[in-house]
Amino acid sequence: MPYHEFECSKCIPERIKHAVDKTPAENLSDALPLGYLNTIPGTLSERGCAYCGAKHVIGTPMKDVIHLSHGPIGCTYDTWQTKRYISDNDNFQLKYTFASDMKEKHIVFGAEKVLKDNIIEAFKAFPHIKRMSIYQTCASALIGDDIKAVAQEVMEEMPDVDIFICNSPGFAGPSQSGGHHKINIAWVNDKVGQVEPKITSDYVINYVGEYNIQGDQEVMQDYFKRMGIQVLSTFTGNGSYDDLRAMHRAHLNVLECARSAEYICNELRKRYGIPRMDIDGCGFGPLASSLRKIGLFFGIEDRAEAIIEEETKRWKPELDWYAARLQGKKVCLWPGGSKLWHWAHVIHEEMGLEVVSVYTKFGHQGDMEKGISRCEAGALAIDDPNELEGLEAMYKLKPDLIITGKRPGEVAKKIRVPYLNAHAYHNGPYKGFEGWVRFARDIYNAVYSPIHKLAFVDISKDAISTDKNFVTRQMLSDKDIDPAVVNSKELHEYTGEFDSIKKLRNKEYPKFPQKGKLTAV
Amino acid sequence: MDMTLDSKKDTLMDYIMKNCLWQFNSRAWDRELQNENIIKKATQLLCHESPEKSTPADRCYWAEAKQLVDEWQCFPWLSKMTATDTKCMMGKLKNDLDSQLITNSLNEELNDPNY
Ligand code: SF4
Repeated sequence: MPYHEFECSKCIPERIKHAVDKTPAENLSDALPLGYLNTIPGTLSERGCAYCGAKHVIGTPMKDVIHLSHGPIGCTYDTWQTKRYISDNDNFQLKYTFASDMKEKHIVFGAEKVLKDNIIEAFKAFPHIKRMSIYQTCASALIGDDIKAVAQEVMEEMPDVDIFICNSPGFAGPSQSGGHHKINIAWVNDKVGQVEPKITSDYVINYVGEYNIQGDQEVMQDYFKRMGIQVLSTFTGNGSYDDLRAMHRAHLNVLECARSAEYICNELRKRYGIPRMDIDGCGFGPLASSLRKIGLFFGIEDRAEAIIEEETKRWKPELDWYAARLQGKKVCLWPGGSKLWHWAHVIHEEMGLEVVSVYTKFGHQGDMEKGISRCEAGALAIDDPNELEGLEAMYKLKPDLIITGKRPGEVAKKIRVPYLNAHAYHNGPYKGFEGWVRFARDIYNAVYSPIHKLAFVDISKDAISTDKNFVTRQMLSDKDIDPAVVNSKELHEYTGEFDSIKKLRNKEYPKFPQKGKLTAV
Repeated sequence: MDMTLDSKKDTLMDYIMKNCLWQFNSRAWDRELQNENIIKKATQLLCHESPEKSTPADRCYWAEAKQLVDEWQCFPWLSKMTATDTKCMMGKLKNDLDSQLITNSLNEELNDPNY
């Protein structure tokens, strides 16, 4: 597989080792992009900082916690609410963000006092919340404030509160990925093992590396509960602080985003002997395999099978309606980390999309191994691209859609390439069987939206016809497909509700009597 | 044309690389364990032997192997192979996994002493 040289990056020769063209005859041992390295000076990267990776990706989805950044307000404010990690407690963690608001005088005289005042003020302002996470930033790290000592003082004065400290300042790693690592290890070191949970099932898991973007966690939790599995904790979407202190009592760690959370699974495996099982929650086939594997582990594969049958029957005709209209559409799959491999093969197999490029901003070489293995030959794989490389790739590959974050997404829009939000989603959740149909629906809407055609019209010089411009998505999508498909009575568009999560909250689940300890777990 | 043992092995290798995740754990020692245990149990299942699954770790390897073998029912030639051929093919498959993902891997993190 040859390394790929971008015209725009010829002046940055180190970049050549960060991109590869996948060829049919070669494999990963012939070429693999470098990854998880410091951004090369001169290349304008789109990464986040290590504080951001720790706080905004992993810490903040915890729902019953005051999340306080010890630093200038911009660190927390500028990225507040950019992810839609909702929760079933009225989104406390999304509604409020807290910062100690460090100023120049604190840099000179220290900010421990202001931090302590802030912690107490925050707990008093929200008396029903008794848990807090404090995140170090560049400023508080550089002046050496002892955050742990301050937190300890507060915990002694307020015995009903508990505080977690995450020391992952912005500079602690090449990208947000450094922060993922730090908060994983800090949590397992400082908090796991402190709470003994009530075990209510013979089958107990931690669901790890899942952040409840628009309800993903709640969709998967629904399947687990229907199988009679107790989800002891979720790390961390819709997760509860005290549940996560009890992670050591699970029988199995079910790992979704290995990029951000394999560390804690690996540690729990080493320290407590809990096995790690990597799964895919997206796509009918991979999700069915994942539920079956979990079912097999616990000896309840029949329960998994019943869910797969019911859900497939309900949603497959809707997925197929979109798949029939998406065949051959070209996609640049450019998410931040794990979605490049969660989605690369299955959007091709189940929706007929051609993945012409995969990239990762903060992934490691392991993510590229997975992504390159899963995409088809011909795809261009790029590690940590800069904006010019992204543009060059789009001009060359001419995708019908890019699936990415909002920063590169806005760049794509400027050159009239439709974009779908891979990080916060457009109209998720995208996990689960129904979620996968919602994803297909969003892809369809993006690819065929008539707005993109109109956007190509230059009103300063093009003639604008006033009688021919009425089009709908379906007029565009159906003109070249088999009439038998168009007129099919079986296939139809998405018929789920606008909010697919509401029905899951307060749902009653079957009771499976506990038989006692499983022999094998 | 009949498939050779090598082409059968390549088909299974492609299947694993595209559909599985267990072979990609992030450290060399961990990949060795995964490849060793899951391929061993998959081989036993294909040869109608009973894999060990009494510890949580073994049960997890077995669940991965069992799911894989169940999915491989899409390859009808697999059930027609003799146990000797199956073992030989699976041995080669494990060598390929080890070679591509461990010994000849370009992944510079594989030998990082920390996770
Ligand atoms: S790099 Fe430092 S100063 Fe900038 S947002 Fe991250 S923690 Fe704050």
